[in-house]
Amino acid sequence: MKELKILAILAIIVIITYLGIEPYAKHVMHGTIPPPDFSYLDLPKFKLAGDPSKGRELFKVNCASCHSLKADGIEAGMDKKTAELSFHVVPPDLSNIAAIVEEHFLANFIRDPQNATKNPKFAMPPMGYLTNDQIGDIIAYLKSTAKKELTGKEILHDACTRCHSVKYQKIPVLTSPEHLKTYLGKIPPDLSLMGRAKEHEYLITFINNPQVLLPGTTMPRLGLTQEATEKVVAYLEQIADPHKEEREKIGMWVLIYMLIGVFLTYAWKKKIWKNIH
Amino acid sequence: MRFIDWLDERLAIRQLIKVMMTEYYVPKNINFLWSFGVLIVLMLVILIISGVFLLMYYKPDANLAFDSVNKTIMMDVAYGWIFRHVHAVGASIMFLLLYVHMARGIYYGSFKPPRELVWLTGYVLFVLMSATAFTGYLLPWGQMSYWAAQTITTLFEKIPFIGPDLVIWIRGHFIVEDPTLTRFFALHVVFLPLLLIIVTAVHLYAVRIVGSNNEDGEPIPKEEKKKKGIPFWPVFMSKEFFVMAVFLTFFFFLVFFHYEFAMDPINFIPADKLQTPPHIYPEWYFLAYYEVLRGFFFSQNLGLIAFVLSMFIAMFLPWLDRSPIVSGKHRPLFQIAFWIFVFDFVFLTILGKLPPTGLYAWLGLIGSIIFFAFFFSLPIISRIERKQLENGGKK
Repeated sequence: MKELKILAILAIIVIITYLGIEPYAKHVMHGTIPPPDFSYLDLPKFKLAGDPSKGRELFKVNCASCHSLKADGIEAGMDKKTAELSFHVVPPDLSNIAAIVEEHFLANFIRDPQNATKNPKFAMPPMGYLTNDQIGDIIAYLKSTAKKELTGKEILHDACTRCHSVKYQKIPVLTSPEHLKTYLGKIPPDLSLMGRAKEHEYLITFINNPQVLLPGTTMPRLGLTQEATEKVVAYLEQIADPHKEEREKIGMWVLIYMLIGVFLTYAWKKKIWKNIH
Repeated sequence: MRFIDWLDERLAIRQLIKVMMTEYYVPKNINFLWSFGVLIVLMLVILIISGVFLLMYYKPDANLAFDSVNKTIMMDVAYGWIFRHVHAVGASIMFLLLYVHMARGIYYGSFKPPRELVWLTGYVLFVLMSATAFTGYLLPWGQMSYWAAQTITTLFEKIPFIGPDLVIWIRGHFIVEDPTLTRFFALHVVFLPLLLIIVTAVHLYAVRIVGSNNEDGEPIPKEEKKKKGIPFWPVFMSKEFFVMAVFLTFFFFLVFFHYEFAMDPINFIPADKLQTPPHIYPEWYFLAYYEVLRGFFFSQNLGLIAFVLSMFIAMFLPWLDRSPIVSGKHRPLFQIAFWIFVFDFVFLTILGKLPPTGLYAWLGLIGSIIFFAFFFSLPIISRIERKQLENGGKK
């Protein structure tokens, strides 16, 4: 009984210390993470309806000089080198963009990328001369080419790899580092271990709106849908901790083994101490 | 001839077993807190074994270290992640064990005559273990590794005359860089563990000579050892194995399911000497001392002196507390001071991780003063107790 009392005191001291240095200190240091906003309703409202075939023509005239759309066999008018020299970043292929980016955001983005991304130096020039209907047509076209089901890895390829490498997965960054430095002020971090370095809620909110958590960052808001954000974060977490399943399985067996050890050693102790007073 | 006889003729193995195990008596009136010494030896063995395996793949080079830990060991090598988890969690839990072991020594007066050398060697072990932990923490070359090393080595700058040169000598560079990593590596894997093993041997030898203390601090003369004690083997160890099994269950639960406290997420970001993290803090086991350093917020020099003093003051316990009553169990006044000290230590540990601003800064100062007040109250408490004992004797 006395020993249990000592153990209880020990446990209380350890638990108080733990609660203080982990949950409480983390709360004080990082505050609460605001929830993400996937509606992007801070941007002006659009009425979205359009004709994909008209959109295709508009795309060829207004977008294809920089962007490819490989799903429909459209190549970009500009090679990588020229694009880098003009924008310091490689323009993305837009085959699946409508499956990744929320459409209301996408419409605002086409009209005024700097405002939508909250990055005044965002590389794409504003397409303010397009009418609402024309933007609607383009989006209808982009939706028609986009794959319905994308994996986290595919989303990462389309949304992140222009600026970020994932070297442990052998995914290189598409833009060369010196151009990224000119464009963003620094070379953006590698994403191999981001899923372990940052907590889940942080990643979700950060991707949703970087300025909320890191005011002044040059990372643009990319307007990902909730589904795309969750998938890409799940992928980041999986690659950062690839042995999670194995760890939990082995962990269970080790604990069972140790518990058997507890019973056996207790029985032996009982036996030896039987005659000792 | 049986092998054991053959060995006995050459190494006197039977005599050794008697002295070390079967006829080494441990007092009966002790509780499971006396098991922590053996737990620490167990933990040291676990750390050395897991460390050797990590060493097989670790690369002590500023350009390779981070990837060798986080990619090669954590992802590519079969079960490499287990060894890293065990090593990281093990280092953290080692300090929990050390603190409990030391607190038990303080409470029950195990540092008092004739056990001063047990206490001193034990304290040297604690300092060596701290140095091992500090040098080891740099090796993964993550953000917190780097900035903790940068911050702590900067402290040496304040030493009069030689400070600035000393810092460069320790780092091997003007800032923490590749040479710092390689020398910390050398210290962590060769020099410090070697010293730890040697001093552990001296510590255990000293305990074998003077014997374990007990709950009542009652000295046990040689003749009574057999009557009042239990043999180390098998009686004490049979209980020890049970305590070990319970401890290892807890330990492996942490290793597999709850390791974040020992593997800070921010250390999964590679060291970047151009980007200071917003919060720099040491691992939890140094937080109390770190808070003493920051506690005297109005003077950096005073904070530094307090910091060094806080790390070493407990070493002088045998001379601070000279009360004739050994065990805290029979010292009501000491008990009050002891529990205030324990809670103050926890308080400082928590404060050490919080930003040192506003109210926290003042609380840190108060906590630091209480920390020292405990040690300076001991001579006074001893005096009162001595007087009480003398008066009681007269009655």
